[in-house]
Amino acid sequence: MEFLANLLPHLLNGVSLGLLFALIALGFMLIVGVMEVINLAHGSLFALGAYVAITLMGWKVSYALAFLLAPLVVGGVGMLLELCLRRTYGKDPLYGLLLTFGAALVLEELIRLTWGSNEKVLPVPEAFNGAVLVGGLIYAKYRLFACLAAIGMIVLLWLFLEKTPYGAMIKAGAHDSEMVRALGINLPRLRLFVFALGTALAAVAGIVMAPIWGVRPHVGVDAVVPAFVIIVLGGVGSFWGAVLAGLMVGIVVGLTGAYASEWSLLSMYLLLIALVTFRARGLLGKKTALEN
Amino acid sequence: MQRNRRKLLQMLAAGAAFYGPWKLNRAWAQSGQKKPLTIGLTMDASGQFGASGQMERLGAMLAIREFNEKGGVLGRPIEAIHIDTETTPATGSRVAERMINRNEVAFLIGALSSGVANAIGQVAQKYGCVYLNTNSSSPTESGRDCHRVKFVWDGNGTNFANAIVKNAMRTYGNNWVLLTNDYVWGHNTSKATRQLLEANGGKVIDELMVPQNTRDFSSYLLKLQQIKPAVVAAAVGGDDQKAMRQQVVQAKLDRAFGWINNQQDWPDVYGLGPDAIFGIFGTTWYYRLDLPGVKEFVAKYQKTYPGMAIRVPGNVYYNGYVATRELLRCVQEVGSTNNLAIIKKMEGRKMSAADRMQHDDAWINPDTHQCQQTIYMASYNDKPAEKDDIFKILTQADPKSIADAASMQSCKLESYAQTPSYEQ
Repeated sequence: MEFLANLLPHLLNGVSLGLLFALIALGFMLIVGVMEVINLAHGSLFALGAYVAITLMGWKVSYALAFLLAPLVVGGVGMLLELCLRRTYGKDPLYGLLLTFGAALVLEELIRLTWGSNEKVLPVPEAFNGAVLVGGLIYAKYRLFACLAAIGMIVLLWLFLEKTPYGAMIKAGAHDSEMVRALGINLPRLRLFVFALGTALAAVAGIVMAPIWGVRPHVGVDAVVPAFVIIVLGGVGSFWGAVLAGLMVGIVVGLTGAYASEWSLLSMYLLLIALVTFRARGLLGKKTALEN
Repeated sequence: MQRNRRKLLQMLAAGAAFYGPWKLNRAWAQSGQKKPLTIGLTMDASGQFGASGQMERLGAMLAIREFNEKGGVLGRPIEAIHIDTETTPATGSRVAERMINRNEVAFLIGALSSGVANAIGQVAQKYGCVYLNTNSSSPTESGRDCHRVKFVWDGNGTNFANAIVKNAMRTYGNNWVLLTNDYVWGHNTSKATRQLLEANGGKVIDELMVPQNTRDFSSYLLKLQQIKPAVVAAAVGGDDQKAMRQQVVQAKLDRAFGWINNQQDWPDVYGLGPDAIFGIFGTTWYYRLDLPGVKEFVAKYQKTYPGMAIRVPGNVYYNGYVATRELLRCVQEVGSTNNLAIIKKMEGRKMSAADRMQHDDAWINPDTHQCQQTIYMASYNDKPAEKDDIFKILTQADPKSIADAASMQSCKLESYAQTPSYEQ
């Protein structure tokens, strides 16, 4: 009984961590799922979001406004990246991979040149400063806010994809781009929009995570690796697969952190290996021709 | 036809092999200038210790600049090349190999991560190239992994533990949890803390391993609350430590236990804000030590590197500077870049407190090659004289009182005969 009482906070912490991981993976999932482009610059755009927010807040812009404006700026950068990517569509996926990898390096160096190599701090809004007592244990208020923000973003994105005509177009574009074009939908514009949305989501994740992880030019690497693991684990292109995988990763990392701490970072990769061994397409991924 | 082509290629290769060095040396001979002395800077510019690596590089560069302003060393201008060691031991090895074989460096300088320092040290010993480990502080660096060519300039985990543990036991209590970065520095620093704690009647009730590049400490912080230790002794460094500090403060756990952080590197804490500085920690130098030369040293940093985000130098920059300066002085005194001559000059070398801007005279232990120096214990400064005055120096420990006796036993330096002769 005492063991269970001790375990419960770690399970809850794992869920909250999982929500944050899911938030990091959302934009990545959108671009991979809809455009079949593995955007290796996702991490750098995540970092850029945090840096832009820090700059805006340095100009006395409120946290709420920075939270809205920084993703717009990063979405603009994402659009530029998509324009560069166009020449790679229909070719070997390696071209897209190389281009986004190059973009990641360029963005990281630009961040270094613009903001320097040193640690930056994105101040926590006053309302979320401090801690609360949950089940006899102290928990940071900001972390609870971050979890709520993650839930909010997941719900909003789901509503957008499932309940709006734009969402329908995006999904249709992912399934059969030729048919979408034949129906008179401007596919290049649609892709541009999807890329902007995906990168804006990376920026949102960057802003939310900045006060927890800290901000430095290479912080994006810390984001892109779990995002990649979550997408593969959840099944490429599956919205709820990504959310579910994020939660699984969070719980596994949270529990190993508490009970076998030296395994905490490795645990997500072990989970990936175990799952992919038995279910190659991930949790909610679609069957491939090879499996039929 | 193919044979002719092969012959032609062979001739071209032979010509290049002869003409390349000949042309280079002839150019130096004709110009009347001496060949520059090249120093390889093996500092991290990315990874866990990227920020600190950049600061120690600036410190080393200032020492080189000062010597160049006086005409170089042995009449030779000093050049420095820097390659990012990426806080990765494999990269450290590769960089050291490249610098020695391709760039023909005379010396190697730089390290934050003890894993990287160990990797570079092994390569340096293989060739006999003198290597200064400027800032990595695992006790193994001057213990099990010591080398005849390697000199360790920072205080190590045992020195810091010797300086802090007993005081912290008296202040906070005997039940401790160790929070250990899961690599060589963390392991050995926590090991030193554990030994000292247990020898004085304290108890380690748990040790939590923190893998390198951990960004989320929530599960550790929950676990600490469940364990309820009197003291959390953290041996967590670089970016991991920055993330940890921020999350501890957010959860308001900075006052829940006594926190000690074995060693606090200046770039890891600068800019985090005053709230993130909690607990008691060790350092080898502070920019507001009331000692002659400190103000001038700070002013020189600010003049040489205007507009830096870190406005005043810290311990990492200081170590980079004093180590490089001392090495170049030895070269000057020996009158040669021969490795064995320089090693002998450095072993047992005494350095005055005034020269090093510390409270006690320092020396290089000839048996471990570690610089024995003053260690300062500090905490957050609640009455800062200026914005950057974030440390309050609580007390200081002289080098003898905090000496690392275990390293003396575990360090087995290679003999001079086993060390290849090396000169550039």
